[in-house]
Amino acid sequence: MPTQVIMPQLGESVVEGTVTKWLKQEGEHIAADESLLEVNTDKVDTEIPSPAAGTLLKIVIGEGITVKAGTIIAWIGEPGENIPGGVSRVDLHAPPAPAPEEPADAPAAPIPPAAGRSRDLGFISPVVAKMAAEHQLDLSLIHGTGEGGRITKRDVLAYLEKSAPSPAPAPAEDRPAWETPGEGDLFRPTELMFTGGAPGMPAPAATPARQQQPTGTPPPAAAPGADELVPHTSLRRAIAAHMLTSKQTSPHVTTVMEADLGAVVAHRAAHKAEFARGGVNLTFTPYFIAAIVAGLKAFPTVNSSWKDEGLLLHRAINIGMATSLGEEGLIVPVIKGADGLSLLGLARAVNDLGGRARAHKLQPDEVKGGTFTITNHGTSGSLFATPVINQPQCGILGVGAIQKRVVVIQDAIAIRPMVYLSLTFDHRILDGAGADGFLAQVVETLQNWS
Amino acid sequence: MSEYDVVVIGAGPGGYVAAIRASQLGLKTAIIDKEWLGGVCLNVGCIPSKALLRNAEVAHTLRERGKEFGFSFENLKLDYAVALKRSRQVSDRLTKGVALLMRKNNIEVIMGSARLAGKNVVEVTAADGKKQTVQGKNIILATGAHPIVIPGVEVDGKRILTYHEAILQDTRPESAIIIGAGAIGAEFATIWNGYGAKVTMVEMLPNILPLEDEEVSSELAKQFKKRGILTMTGTKVLSVTATETGVEVRVNGPEGEQTLKAEQALLAIGFRPNSKNLGLEETGVKTNERGFITIDERMSTNVPGIWAIGDVTGQLLLAHVASAQAVVCAENIAGVETITLDYSMMPRATYSQPQVASFGLTEAQAKDKGHEVKVGKFIFQANGKALGLADYAGFIKIITDARYGEILGAHLIGPEVSELLPELTLAQRMELTTEEIGRNVHAHPTLSEVIMEAAHAAEGHVIHM
Repeated sequence: MPTQVIMPQLGESVVEGTVTKWLKQEGEHIAADESLLEVNTDKVDTEIPSPAAGTLLKIVIGEGITVKAGTIIAWIGEPGENIPGGVSRVDLHAPPAPAPEEPADAPAAPIPPAAGRSRDLGFISPVVAKMAAEHQLDLSLIHGTGEGGRITKRDVLAYLEKSAPSPAPAPAEDRPAWETPGEGDLFRPTELMFTGGAPGMPAPAATPARQQQPTGTPPPAAAPGADELVPHTSLRRAIAAHMLTSKQTSPHVTTVMEADLGAVVAHRAAHKAEFARGGVNLTFTPYFIAAIVAGLKAFPTVNSSWKDEGLLLHRAINIGMATSLGEEGLIVPVIKGADGLSLLGLARAVNDLGGRARAHKLQPDEVKGGTFTITNHGTSGSLFATPVINQPQCGILGVGAIQKRVVVIQDAIAIRPMVYLSLTFDHRILDGAGADGFLAQVVETLQNWS
Repeated sequence: MSEYDVVVIGAGPGGYVAAIRASQLGLKTAIIDKEWLGGVCLNVGCIPSKALLRNAEVAHTLRERGKEFGFSFENLKLDYAVALKRSRQVSDRLTKGVALLMRKNNIEVIMGSARLAGKNVVEVTAADGKKQTVQGKNIILATGAHPIVIPGVEVDGKRILTYHEAILQDTRPESAIIIGAGAIGAEFATIWNGYGAKVTMVEMLPNILPLEDEEVSSELAKQFKKRGILTMTGTKVLSVTATETGVEVRVNGPEGEQTLKAEQALLAIGFRPNSKNLGLEETGVKTNERGFITIDERMSTNVPGIWAIGDVTGQLLLAHVASAQAVVCAENIAGVETITLDYSMMPRATYSQPQVASFGLTEAQAKDKGHEVKVGKFIFQANGKALGLADYAGFIKIITDARYGEILGAHLIGPEVSELLPELTLAQRMELTTEEIGRNVHAHPTLSEVIMEAAHAAEGHVIHM
């Protein structure tokens, strides 16, 4: 029986960690207590020793991925040993169960497995097998959360709920998932960008190529080396439809400004520990949301939707935050009534919605009703981008990587933490001057943070 | 000041299990209790009562069923004091076992009353008044619960008792009124009735064992009636008064107001958490309106580093649930892989005669939740082993959802049914259906065949009926 390597809890209030670097690759031998990987949390960076001697059979969680403490991140054992089925317990960013090893022989259409033990999926319970048969499900697409990654009835229900919308394009309100440039994880502490040196971020290319494959049913039989057709997931289709609709609906224009985050960085450094004591992880995101709220209050036209009969000004300020679900796609949970929340309230909401988004536990109405959206493409190293509007909103703010840059302040050269902010707006509603006025207000709020 | 990774307050089946699991996971652990190792369960609860129940069943057989089995006696003497003594021996043996387990796992045992004196500090006051402080990076609150007393009623330990006095007295009453027909009430009714006492149970709700499936409750009421236990349901207690010779309990039920008289009264109407004087307010640990400590699925309170398990969390006041919470809690503290508990699927058992055991939804609850309900039922009367034992009252009832055959709950009443429950809870946990249970070959003749037949019944093809 191979030994599990588990993401340890690296501190009292630290409940998750990011795999920053695997020091051994699959197939390599490792001694007990030899360093196996590097882990980063919001408090510490540390090397994790191997719990056992043997061969690193499988890396379950690739570099750059954040998982909860207790998640299985790798397996160590004897070469050729079988790894218990399924993937880890709580890891939802990681690539789902690997595709079958022999795609050439794989059937083109999913055949729901019978109950019992499946080589790739572990134990399939009779209840799950019956559900899979009834709904013609490919269980390899479903993430298991039971012991050892077992797929439970709850997982199947969650999957069915998630893939419930029909593939045909539906009204924009029902399409929460949409694309932004980059695959930023809004909630990874942005200061990783400093400690990590150049904004390269943990290179996804370092993970085995097999894990990079989009999840899908096994491709149709093809000769080795030939091109392969990977079927779309329903979420991918939904994202595609929404992107296309948005681009065809609004004339997109993007304007870019930069902001000096010195005041925000100082405020955050002074309050992070205090927030942490209250169980809240203070990231930069709540500051950006607060600045957007200030901008929307000063320029209410930005908080609106185009209607042929007139401009619909929204009274509520509901900020959507684009949240990456890894390879699965994106979801945009909405902070309702953001103008009524303090920084603490915003930080709580960001933690809560982000966490539940990644755990697939959002309620349907929590991804609806947004009036403006923020996307943090900077976490993957992007400096500035031209995000796509989340219909039927007027604008979306893209936040780039925070970098220390040389700037000129009162004719002196200074090193300041700078960020590019890019606002994409609907040119039917706003002209350049109005959009820039809003963006300048956001910048001013951030620069004069107190 | 001693410093630990984990300090457990309360050494019951929650606390001592948490301490063992924490120690197994390499954490330096201490456990504090003001009274005893093993808590209420081992000392004055689950364990000694099982010894008394066994005595009572033998007593009942000798008194009432001698003729049936062909035993006759002259001058049969039943010495309740010996039953009590045996129950104490069983209890002592197990609590000594807990002490041994603490030593074996290098767990520091500290006797005294504990109080949080900060987020990581516990102040312990020993019986002689000496104080010491213990520091713990993590503190697990496992302080348990105590019986609810009706306002205005004084528990004197002679006429008016709680389970605590009842389980330690070396005589049994000639007659008793048991207030509250839950598990504790039903077990004492069985014990005292077995020794020949005249027992009356008073329950405010419409059924005895009011949380069980209605069919089970009415079967138990029928069997109690046969044994001469009087059950008064839908009946409210107005007052309980100790008199020179016994107690008077004034009740109001379907037949109007009346006064019941007996030698003793037992209060068994529920429990309140032991959450007072623990320093919870000062450390900001949240409790609900009834005083139970609020926890998340990791067993963490709202204060990081302070955890709570068992009765004091008010999830299900059962020893095995506390132990299950304990393991999850210790594993979360250590940061190793663990599970979350589904409290709705925890097993429940009442060791009356006949026994009652169940888990999950009752038939009525399953229908209320909108399931398309299928019920498979089989009676012990058609089971060879039960007939051989001459103990064949009761049945097993499995509730399933028709669509996928998912097991929603099971309700068992009959001989040793608490021992039959694990097959069904495991099946539910692994999402097996009645089809697999029916196909699982059960040894013949066993009581467990009733499970197999109930599963066949749910599938529509019962064999032996």
